[in-house]
Amino acid sequence: MAFVARRLRFGSAIPLGCALAALWATPALAQSDLNLFSADSFELTGDVRFVMGDGEKSWVRGGFGKLRSSGNGDDVRVQPELGNVNLVWQPQFTWSLSATIVGSLQGGERTEAGLGQAYLSFRPMRSSKLAFSARAGLMFPPVSLEHEGADWHVKDSITPSTINSWIGEEVRPVAVEGTLTAHLGEHKLRATAAIMAVNDTSGTLLTFRGWALHDRTTLAFRLQPLPPLDEEVAEYQPRFTHPLLDVPEGFAHRPGYYAKLAWQLPAPVRVELFRYDNRAHPADANDQNEWGWRTQFDDFGVEADLGSGTVLKAQALEGRTRMGFEMQGRHLVDNRFRSAFAMLTHAFGPFGLAARVEAFDTRNRGSLVKDEYDDSGWSAMIAAKRQWGIVTGLVELLQVSSERESREDSGLEPRQRQTQLQASMRMRW
Amino acid sequence: MVRNILIALALAGAASPLAAAPLSVRVVDASGRPVRDAVVTFNPATGARAPRPGGHFTVSQRDLQFHPFLTIVPVGADVSFPNLDPTKHHVYSFSAAKRFELKLFAKDQSRTVHFDKPGVVALGCNIHDGMSAFIYVTDSAWTVRTNAQGIAAFADAPNAPGRVIVWHPYMRVPGGTMQQAVTPGQRAASFSIRLRAPPTMTMTDY
Repeated sequence: MAFVARRLRFGSAIPLGCALAALWATPALAQSDLNLFSADSFELTGDVRFVMGDGEKSWVRGGFGKLRSSGNGDDVRVQPELGNVNLVWQPQFTWSLSATIVGSLQGGERTEAGLGQAYLSFRPMRSSKLAFSARAGLMFPPVSLEHEGADWHVKDSITPSTINSWIGEEVRPVAVEGTLTAHLGEHKLRATAAIMAVNDTSGTLLTFRGWALHDRTTLAFRLQPLPPLDEEVAEYQPRFTHPLLDVPEGFAHRPGYYAKLAWQLPAPVRVELFRYDNRAHPADANDQNEWGWRTQFDDFGVEADLGSGTVLKAQALEGRTRMGFEMQGRHLVDNRFRSAFAMLTHAFGPFGLAARVEAFDTRNRGSLVKDEYDDSGWSAMIAAKRQWGIVTGLVELLQVSSERESREDSGLEPRQRQTQLQASMRMRW
Repeated sequence: MVRNILIALALAGAASPLAAAPLSVRVVDASGRPVRDAVVTFNPATGARAPRPGGHFTVSQRDLQFHPFLTIVPVGADVSFPNLDPTKHHVYSFSAAKRFELKLFAKDQSRTVHFDKPGVVALGCNIHDGMSAFIYVTDSAWTVRTNAQGIAAFADAPNAPGRVIVWHPYMRVPGGTMQQAVTPGQRAASFSIRLRAPPTMTMTDY
């Protein structure tokens, strides 16, 4: 823990601090636009929920369960839970330059608090055809079609898809990102490119636990637990991972990148392509035995307004992660993963409905981690919400079914099914 | 004395062509469905009557949208832009009829812009890409928008030859407007216009 804190402290906090210091030293700083601590620069959001579900122990407690809350085997378990509480601070330095700092408290079966995001945003006035914006710091890359707001809450349901649950867990780099938006007649194009670091272990959870469905996110300096590993694998991997980590000494020795192209058609349809490559070196390891995971993936997203308040959202993600030195031409881990979902939402006045189906799998062909770690399954979700001013009530029914041979080592059936009913009350101040 | 003047004015009015039946213009889309919020202007060949100049109008920002979406104002109008959202907005226009930008800090701040040239002013927000609205600045007293039935009615349009011009924010046509000649005695006109889908989807803002 201290190791990771040291790494992040010297690796990412200092560059951000230097950027802020440089900003303060800029003579052109427009004092009249300075707004650091007014009430408008703060936002508090949070939710409490009732959770009723069956099935296996949650991954949050080191189990194989894919949901945020554990079931009780065949018996239904009912429990009140604190969801996510976020304090968002968005100080304004000049009209074009601001910062977003999000502190989060996540409740449920493992309570933890920490830093969710911390980045600078630069958004100068656009020209008639082009708009440029930039961000720098610890932040979510623009992948999810399900999240919104500075607190990165799930818009139409309580639980995001497997794709965007994973983004919240293992895809949160320290990055410098630039975005150019162009209006070409009735078309609109947005291109984003970023260089990034502090994401060398991305892919660990996806390999040893598999896909999951939950609205927890990894906080800076924090670890995520892994399910039981067999003896041979446990020699190479501790029962945890720090998703926000540069494995080699120093900061950004092998910076990665991500890029995105979004195209808004003349019709109410938007398509997005996203590419990520952390460029981590698979043979790197630190003194806690955490390895570099070379993770690459492509995500395709589409959002279409079908009229009368109905919107279709879909994402498909496919990628590969490799960890460890090569033996006989194969890395210790060589995991190809993919997932896809389609969701329909319908809004009428203060009400909203959402339905989502998805399928996912992983395929392991490493020299150490083989097909017993493969993970495949599907899930279906329906949700309803109603808004009363600053309060939003949500009800969600979710079912997930998955197969994973490595569960047998812990005396579990490879195929597990979980059904969960949740009612959440979200507040926003 | 006043009574005599009023009677004289009433008689003069009864004798003028303004007393004709209303001019009614219907706008439908390619499928024959009525189009609301199309802006229809009647320009008589004898010259348009200038609207009452100036006036004060409001386009507010609420729930990350402009309200109303379409506003018709006369040349010389002042339009206020109150920010009713708890977040800041950066309202701008690059339109030839009026170029401006307004920095509106959070809640209850307002700025006013004077519109001194006729034309269409497209509004946007530099921070929130999904915000869009239009101000139609007119130099004619006979400019109205279509209602939910796609009807624009000119109660006092003269019974004279002229042209009817239709504009809509999402109309697909070269030049952005459609025109039709009106002959004396003609009190109805109809337009079938092609519309592109409104850009309701916005790029995700992070």
